[in-house]
Amino acid sequence: MTIDIFWRIPTHGEPSSHRARTPFRGDWFPGNDNLRKAGLGGGGADGFNYLDYIAEIAHAAEISGFQGGLIPSFPMTDEPWVISSLLARETSTFRFMIPFQPGFLNPVVAARMTASLQRATGGRALYNVITGGGGPSQLWWGDSAGHDDRYTRTTEFLDVVRGVWRGGPFSYQGKFYQVENAGLAHPLSEEEFPEIYFSGSSDAALASASKHADYYLTWLEPFDQLREKFRRVKEKTDLLGRKIKCAVRVDVIARATEEEAWEEVRKGFDNVAPETLRAFLGQDGGDSVGAARQRGNRPTTINSYKDLITEPNVWAGFNLFRGGQTQGIVGSYEQVAERLDDLVQLGADAFILASTPHLEEAYRVGEEVLPLVRGHSNSKLLRAVG
Amino acid sequence: MSTEFIWQLPTAGDGRYAEATRLRRGERSGQQRPPFTDGVTDPRGNRFNYFDYAHQVARAADISGFDGLRIRHDFEGDDSWIIAGYLARGTRHVRLLTEFEASWGSSVYAAKNAVSFQRAANGRFAWQLVQGGDEASRRQHGDNLPQGEVLARIDEFITVARGVQTSVPFSFKGRYFEVLDGGFRGPLAGNPLPPVYLSGEGAEALALSARQADVHVFDAAPLELIRAGVAALHQAGSNGRQVAAGLRIDVLARETQEEAERDALRYREQTGAGTALPALDADRYWDGYATARSGARGALVGSYEQVIDALAAYAEAGVSSFLLGAEPALEEAYRVGEYVLPALRARLAKAEQQAA
Repeated sequence: MTIDIFWRIPTHGEPSSHRARTPFRGDWFPGNDNLRKAGLGGGGADGFNYLDYIAEIAHAAEISGFQGGLIPSFPMTDEPWVISSLLARETSTFRFMIPFQPGFLNPVVAARMTASLQRATGGRALYNVITGGGGPSQLWWGDSAGHDDRYTRTTEFLDVVRGVWRGGPFSYQGKFYQVENAGLAHPLSEEEFPEIYFSGSSDAALASASKHADYYLTWLEPFDQLREKFRRVKEKTDLLGRKIKCAVRVDVIARATEEEAWEEVRKGFDNVAPETLRAFLGQDGGDSVGAARQRGNRPTTINSYKDLITEPNVWAGFNLFRGGQTQGIVGSYEQVAERLDDLVQLGADAFILASTPHLEEAYRVGEEVLPLVRGHSNSKLLRAVG
Repeated sequence: MSTEFIWQLPTAGDGRYAEATRLRRGERSGQQRPPFTDGVTDPRGNRFNYFDYAHQVARAADISGFDGLRIRHDFEGDDSWIIAGYLARGTRHVRLLTEFEASWGSSVYAAKNAVSFQRAANGRFAWQLVQGGDEASRRQHGDNLPQGEVLARIDEFITVARGVQTSVPFSFKGRYFEVLDGGFRGPLAGNPLPPVYLSGEGAEALALSARQADVHVFDAAPLELIRAGVAALHQAGSNGRQVAAGLRIDVLARETQEEAERDALRYREQTGAGTALPALDADRYWDGYATARSGARGALVGSYEQVIDALAAYAEAGVSSFLLGAEPALEEAYRVGEYVLPALRARLAKAEQQAA
């Protein structure tokens, strides 16, 4: 069984490097004072908009051998269903991993949209089912369902999508969804059901994932914690008679030498504003179990970037540079590939990688790191080319 | 106010004459034309499907000078939002008017997707929110709302979608949707709202359009009924809010009336709808000439001159948005774009100048 490796689309814009917040690509950075005024800097005065840059990242990813990309959805991002349908015709192998919260779409509508996107792309749509972080953010979306209710809703949602997929007639009476004699029309009913990556760390999440997920998706955590997490997930799903796989979403900084890789981190860390560092040490919000696990992995004082090196080639300060998870992999091309293979050994079957800037780094990681990843093969240890 | 011409894209299939009821151009699946004989090479395999054809229809409307493309909501076909997205980067000018129901999902999520669409497609997204079918039909699509509440839900859907796009913070607690301290910021704010097209008959529908719609679309009907409808629409309005009157009507236009009637009859015969030609008035309106994939209540059947006259008469009666359709959608977009629109637009411009 081979490892699937995805890239990521920065739907919230991104800086040109890890070293500083500017120059910034896209118009998402508040107070963007980009001097170029070209489309890359946002604003669209020259007829280009941020999607034009996203399209280039998608092309870079598919040319470089990635499966496709995760297209994140948050309050301050562009949206994956729109991006996927707009890029359907101009990509050929790029698989669109769409994160969405089941509570936001009517499941029968979602099934139709998915089947149509499969037809529009030749079967390249897949889900990343997310179930929300709760708190004010959830109410911003207009969703007042509590944590466990949201996972019940997720399970019901996927029950209905699967139920109507082959044409039905399918009826269902759930707490959140009810349908009668539903089913997709031909030829939408001929399409392949999307793979499902499933996010969520709580017990309610695992129960929901056990029923429907193909891949259980997690952020990077200390390796021992991850080993235990994967074991627990696979054990729980085995009990239900389903073989579930595990995937890791992780940022990487890979360079020809380890020194150069840490140099990127050092320069970025030196440019972090003091208030950002303070906020990093005391963040709060929401009922997400995953975010709480991330907070638990952090030191209490930080004098240099080295204080955030938590295990070999793992740096825990990535969310000083951008929102999201704290840990990422830093090292030479060989070291990064080895860490990925280590994760495979402790239970990972797929990856969603990312680095900044996402276009150039798709080429770099695809050309220099991916060929060194052995996965479950017996290939001899390889050396980097570049 | 300038008149807009929008071309209809059917979403469950299209073809020449009666083939439109059973063919999906571009596809090899389902009932279809016989493939080539063994004597002729066919390179297509399964390479194409209806999306490839839809791309061509969209380009036809764009190149031929239409102002918009209306993407039909049809449960037998592909999803209208996905098609709209698929067509966006292949078109430059046409507004992508996307028909769907308020049972779609969260209004905030719809608004957020709409904003992404506007950002990526230079503001060319538009909404047509329709009431959908009867209760049984809607239950088949996960929508259990009692029939009497459908318009109220559309009302709230628009209120919330507009609210989050135009105000921060935005809070709302209604019967169908709620938001707390929502509202779009940064690059999500300040984008053109998708224009809202609504439809429906009766006082409640007209009142809703008067409050919420940019365009109220009337179903095809004889001229005098449309004139009365436009008057009713303006009467339903309050606070001087401008709502344009739209008309959804098919056009079967040919160089001569005889050719038009011949093709209309051929379609009727092939679909078993009859062999007789009704007596049409000078306005050439054929009530009930419906094609399975079009959703229009009737069509104008006549020569180019006659169709131009009839459309100009509707414009004079107050219609400023025409949602036209014909089969097959590809060739007829070029035909209407070449033989009807230029002369019609010149006629309307002249009438406007004279009125000024």
